[in-house]
This record gives sequence, C-alpha cells and structure tokens, in this order.
Amino acid sequence: MVDEETKMISRGQQGDQEAFKEIFDKYNKKVYRIAYGVVRQREEVLDIVQEVFVKLFRSIRNFKGRSHFYAYLYRITMNTAIDHARKSGKQFFASLDAERSFEPHDELGKGPERLLLQKELEEKVKMAMKKLSAEQKAAVIFRDVEGLSYQEMAEAMGCSIGTVMSRLHYGRKKMQELLKEYVGLQKGGSS
Amino acid sequence: MKDSCSSVTKLLEKYFDQEVTDKERFLVEGHLQDCLVCRNALRSMEELRTLIKVPVEKAVQKEDFPWVWQKIEREIRSTQEKLTWWQFLRSRLDVSPLFKKKVWIPAVATVAVLLFLTAQIVFEKTPSYTDASVVDYVESQTDNVMVYQLEKPKVTVIWLFEGPEKDQTTS
Repeated sequence: MVDEETKMISRGQQGDQEAFKEIFDKYNKKVYRIAYGVVRQREEVLDIVQEVFVKLFRSIRNFKGRSHFYAYLYRITMNTAIDHARKSGKQFFASLDAERSFEPHDELGKGPERLLLQKELEEKVKMAMKKLSAEQKAAVIFRDVEGLSYQEMAEAMGCSIGTVMSRLHYGRKKMQELLKEYVGLQKGGSS
Repeated sequence: MKDSCSSVTKLLEKYFDQEVTDKERFLVEGHLQDCLVCRNALRSMEELRTLIKVPVEKAVQKEDFPWVWQKIEREIRSTQEKLTWWQFLRSRLDVSPLFKKKVWIPAVATVAVLLFLTAQIVFEKTPSYTDASVVDYVESQTDNVMVYQLEKPKVTVIWLFEGPEKDQTTS
C-alpha cells in the first residue's frame, strides 16, 4: 500500500510542480530550522533554503526510495548549510548589522539591555557552533533543534547509532565548555 | 554513591534524549532523587538545548514561507529555461533504466564476447611459406632442389636453385 508521501514524491519526480509545492509545504520549516541552527542568520538561511529546494527539484529523480525521504532531504540541507557556513566567514559586527533589519516584534517593551544580551548570546552560540566539526554540528542540530531520534539521525547522517551518540556527546560537551558562562541565563525557555 | 553515579552518567544523555529503556529510566530516576551532581548535569543539558533551540523556533514562527516559495518557484522557472538541449533531452527521455546493473553488465558482456569472436575471424592466420613443411632438399653440383608441401591449401612447391658450378660459369 503506497502512502500519500510516496505518491507525492513520485508525482514530483515526474515534474509535477503542484506536487513539488506540497513537498515544500511539508518540509519548509524543517529545512529552515536546520539551516538556521547552522548559520543563525536570516539572510543566509533564506539563501540556503532556496538552494536546498532548487537542488531537490533538480535531483529528486535520483531519489530511489532506499532511505526515507526526510533523511535524503536532511542530508542535502545539512551539507548545503555547512558549505555556506564555511564560505561565509562573516565577522561579529557584520552579522549584528544584518540582524538589525529584522526586528523581532515580540521583543518590543522588553528593554534594550535584554535585546542586546540576547543578540550577544546568539552570536556566542553561533561562534560556538562554528567550532564544532561538521559531524558534531549535524548531530547537535538534528537532535537539539529538529528533535530527531537516534535512529532517524543515524539514517540522515549515514552512520551507526553508536557514532551518532558519540558525535552528539562530544558536540554538546564542546558547546557547554564554550558557553559555560551563558548557560543559566536563559530563564523560562523550554524545549 | 560514586559507583552508581559513574554508571548513571553514561545513561544521562540517553535519558535526556528519551532514548532509554524502561529499566534504564527507572535506574536513572532513582539515582537522580539523591544525586545533586547528576541533576545539575541534566539541567545544564536542558539549558544548552534552550540556548540553541529557542532562537531557531522564534525565527521559524516569524518567517514568511509563501514569499520564500515564490522566490524558489522563480528560481526553478529560470533553471528550466536555461536547460541545454542535452538536459532537455534527458529530462524528456528517461534513459536511467539503461544504467541499471542488470542492463549494462549483460550488455557489456555480450559486446565483449562478440568482439572476441569477431577478432578470431578477422585475425585468423593465412598460411605462409614459413608455415610450410620442407619435404625434401636435394643438392647437386649443378642444381639444388627444395620441395615444400603446404597443408592448406594442398600445394606442392618445388624450388630450383642454381648449384655452385653454374654460379661460377655465369659470373
């Protein structure tokens, strides 16, 4: 029995643009979350999301169904995001300037000091993320941002569950060391 | 206490990620009631996750995805317009079945066998005099006679050579 997603992907492989829009509607937020987890800057994230779906459009015929579709898409997304992060090499001040054009509306009335602290925290998290290896970065984002299970992560990363756990452990350990002065400042946040 | 801490520490991350078995969960939760160190370690993991995740969720909630789709759709259209004739042909003709192993391996094997058989025919040796066997050679003062006999085709060749006396006479 063929499920709805398989039919949708099959139609997309035959060039049905409506089907491709359905794929976008289903996966846009997941792709966005992964991209944001890596580069943490809206303009770059939009470039990555666009590139991922264009790549998917060009390569969807190559998807043979040997793995789950989400694993295929997440792999494209993570590789594209990591490539962007490597090439960007933006400085701290330049990225703060870019952030000013995107004012978070629900932060109004919370005070400029709080906003500044949040921006500083964001930059620290971004810098810490850059210090991780590509594999550790992927593991931390797949788990802590996207909430994939170990099994799903293993499929998306093309490795064993043991390797997933190892990469996740060392990635988190490094992040904690780099952000130790900031852990404890986020009050009321929840996963 | 120290021993149970070391055995639970290995499970703490799995417990945090909700990947433990029921037995492991029971062990960890029992230990956490009495161990501040492990509770703090768990809280640090939670805080780190919050640091990483919360800004991402906020950004996702604010993003205008229909507008993002319009950009992607435009890019896909311009990609389609730029297709070369070869890419157009490939997109229309599905040649991917030709690249399946069960297709190209027998095809290559068939071509190899045909080439082998053809080469046998093309490069089959034609008989030369060197392959002929010498049946007889007779020497005399005036003339020397050599008789060759070929197998295929069945031909007998008789060679006459001038003997040494005749050579002296002519020179």
